[in-house]
Amino acid sequence: VGRLDTEVLVIGGGSTGTGAVRDAAMRGFDTILVERSDLADGTTGRFHGLLHSGGRYVVKDPAAARECVPENAILRRIAADSIEDTGGLFVTTPHDDPDYGDLFVAGCLDTGVPVEEIPASEALRREPRLNPGISRAFLVPDASMDVWKTVWSCARSAEQHGARVLTYHRVLELARSDGRVVGALARNELTGEEVRIHADIVVNATGAWAGQVAALAGCRVEILPGKGIMIAMNHRLVNTVVNRCKLPDDGDILVPIRTVSVIGTTDERIADPDAAEATQDEIDQMLEEGEKLVPGFRAARALRVWTGVRPLFQETSAEDVDTRDVSRSHTLLDHERRDGVAGLLTITGGKTTTFRLMAEVTVDAVCEHLGVERPCRTHLEPLPDSEEGHHYWLGARLASREPIPQSEEIICECELVTRQQLDAAIVRRGTVSLDDIRRTVRLGMGPCQGGFCIYRATGVLHALRHLDTETANTALLDFLQERWKGVHPVLYGDQLRQARLDDWIFQGILDVAHVQR
Amino acid sequence: MTHDAVVIGAGLAGLAAAVRLAQEGRSVLVLAKGVGSTHLAPPTIDVLGYSSDGDAVESPARGLAALARKDPEHPYSRTGAETLARALDWWATELPELGYSGGLDSNALLPTAVGAAKPTALVPATMAGGDLRSGGRIAIVGLRGLKDFYPGYVADNLARSVRAAGAAVTVRALDLDPPLDGVRDVGVLGFAARFERPDFREAIVRELRPLVAPGERVGLPAVLGVRETDRVHRELEDGLGKTVFEIATLPPSIPGMRLFEALKRALRRAGGKLVLGVRVVGAETNGRRVEAVVAQTAARRVPYRGRSFLVATGGFASGALELTSDWTVRDTALGLPVRGVPPGDARFLPGYFDRHPFGRVGVEVDERLRPLGANGAVYENVHAAGAIVAGAEPWREASGNGIALATGFAAAEAILEG
Repeated sequence: VGRLDTEVLVIGGGSTGTGAVRDAAMRGFDTILVERSDLADGTTGRFHGLLHSGGRYVVKDPAAARECVPENAILRRIAADSIEDTGGLFVTTPHDDPDYGDLFVAGCLDTGVPVEEIPASEALRREPRLNPGISRAFLVPDASMDVWKTVWSCARSAEQHGARVLTYHRVLELARSDGRVVGALARNELTGEEVRIHADIVVNATGAWAGQVAALAGCRVEILPGKGIMIAMNHRLVNTVVNRCKLPDDGDILVPIRTVSVIGTTDERIADPDAAEATQDEIDQMLEEGEKLVPGFRAARALRVWTGVRPLFQETSAEDVDTRDVSRSHTLLDHERRDGVAGLLTITGGKTTTFRLMAEVTVDAVCEHLGVERPCRTHLEPLPDSEEGHHYWLGARLASREPIPQSEEIICECELVTRQQLDAAIVRRGTVSLDDIRRTVRLGMGPCQGGFCIYRATGVLHALRHLDTETANTALLDFLQERWKGVHPVLYGDQLRQARLDDWIFQGILDVAHVQR
Repeated sequence: MTHDAVVIGAGLAGLAAAVRLAQEGRSVLVLAKGVGSTHLAPPTIDVLGYSSDGDAVESPARGLAALARKDPEHPYSRTGAETLARALDWWATELPELGYSGGLDSNALLPTAVGAAKPTALVPATMAGGDLRSGGRIAIVGLRGLKDFYPGYVADNLARSVRAAGAAVTVRALDLDPPLDGVRDVGVLGFAARFERPDFREAIVRELRPLVAPGERVGLPAVLGVRETDRVHRELEDGLGKTVFEIATLPPSIPGMRLFEALKRALRRAGGKLVLGVRVVGAETNGRRVEAVVAQTAARRVPYRGRSFLVATGGFASGALELTSDWTVRDTALGLPVRGVPPGDARFLPGYFDRHPFGRVGVEVDERLRPLGANGAVYENVHAAGAIVAGAEPWREASGNGIALATGFAAAEAILEG
């Protein structure tokens, strides 16, 4: 068993955890982050990609809306390159109560969400595919966000400030001494090695899993995991984030992100955050709601369905709480005050849009516990490679390749990932999982879902990392299995055609089912 | 005019049937919305590579006999083994330019681009040298600039695959740096065009000759030209003094394109016609007979009259069958009844390689390959062949081109019998 010493140990590599480790490192703390899987593999990497203006919450959850307003502006400054400034629309379709628009505007004014009502005809000029029956439209500063990029940038920034980020490290135990949490025992999930990490304070930033981690210190934290499903459609049905102008409900957001658009979501309380499956009824509901926003929605290709689990928290544990009614605001639990267990803080609830703020209040509490006064600077300093005012834009990858189309091998044609980018990602990540690579460079996220690029990526991975055959075969087969999980519930129309072509490629031509594993 | 036979679809099944019918003096018109399956996969005739349990089939003849007992709904059980045997003989004879070898007695084992050893019955000349049953020494050669082939990965897996099949083998990988004039992303089509240039072939031979060892066979990705493959193949073998073979890789398939060209020539020789860019969307019927199929062109709907019709439009991959977002399946050309759609949401299982309930959906046919409805054949003069026929999962069984050929040939026979 190895041993590491640090001041602040952060558990959880989602947006909150990486935000916290960056914040702590920037305030000069020696800090370590452990994550049981890859970064952003839990709730963070499974949302719709919407950077909220706050508009969604102005009527039902004004506290959450008020948090979104400044955080939206800050993230636009510090994480410009992972944000696309799509703008957002709230539209009143024939299915929605036209009077909600007035409540909405009043709520925006009350919470500070910038809003402008525009004529429905103007909204249709901006977004011609929208339901032509919309009666009102409101502009808000919603945006879309490549959260993997944000999280990796936070991790990189943290490392530049001296932090250590340990992915694939699962916490097995919280170490305690005199009733105080003094660190954790973690296992490297790839090698099986265990490591004891001693820390002055431990931050539990595991979101929907926070109850499980707090329980390791004997603290009872009741999380209400709220399952939401999302479906990625194969291209951008809209170029602006579009919300239905009504109280938040299922299937009322359509987010254009990179080359696809994502419809979401649902909200269903579940027992186990690791067992969140999308059902046929939920899928049908999404398609039906999508049709109301964009007529012809069903004729578009659905690429993939996934579920995310919101870490909703209420201090009073009620059996019959509807998770839709629980505030999207965050909660910081000081277990010393709450449970008499010193050395442990739990940050949960909240949303990706406010992750930086959650990290800030958490590290403020860390300072208080460690008896130091060090101000937060995460809102001042842009993330590595991000430059204020230079947002991601859809044509960026194409623009960089277009002048020299054949000078480099394009490995993934859907997402324009080049051989050089793939090589760099493989080396930088040091991983043998093609799914990790997928999240890093968006390999195989387009319409063919890896039909062509995953064979190529396997060949490149095998050569570059000098892998043995079993490891390379496992990488390929694991990717195909992981992909299947997301695609099979939404296979219909042209996407089923695509899947059959992919079956022919992998099973027919390559015969991957019969390589030795 | 009224054709004796109108064939819809220009994949292997449709073209095989069309050639056969035209050779027997029938007037034949092939309509297709575009090129078909030939361009996607190599022209090996995989009859039956794997049993339903996933075990490799050594002898297709014996495998088919077992299949007939176990699975009476399978397309092969409709056509019968004897028809298939005649179809294979006919095929190899009619397409001499592909130089097919093999048969139903024993499957060859061909290397794939991941280094699996895939069982197949009939092998074109450019791929025959790759048969792994004999083992021996093999060099797998990659071409820099071709992102669809990774010789190191192929070689590593191949050594294991062949040893698992019981032969002694040495496999190694070689990387060539062919002259590409500064271009890095060439693709199979670009390489096929380059291999048709003598100077490019000479450069390849020059670079490769010193690298290959005595007694070694040489495997290259399948890019040895589309038009002059015979010469390309021969010159490489002569120049290297080695057996040279092609390994199929990602679509488009260069050897598959050769097959399409060969079938087109055979159809033209026999007097048949092929029209691409025609999408059939319906039929004019008279009782239980189809008088014409109706095609949608840019400006109007055009009827094509015939005495017999063959639906060889493919399955879900071609778009011939469609699963709509309300989870119903339809045949997009003639609206034929579709069989085997599982109820509810039980279409697919959680494991990618599982045997999925939806896998065998298609059009059910009688022994004359006529689509069946609730009360027997839907039409007296409509037949179906190829991937649209229900009851098989060809990508799992390694049976795709075999089923296409067997059903296409059998449908032609049924039409000839009248």
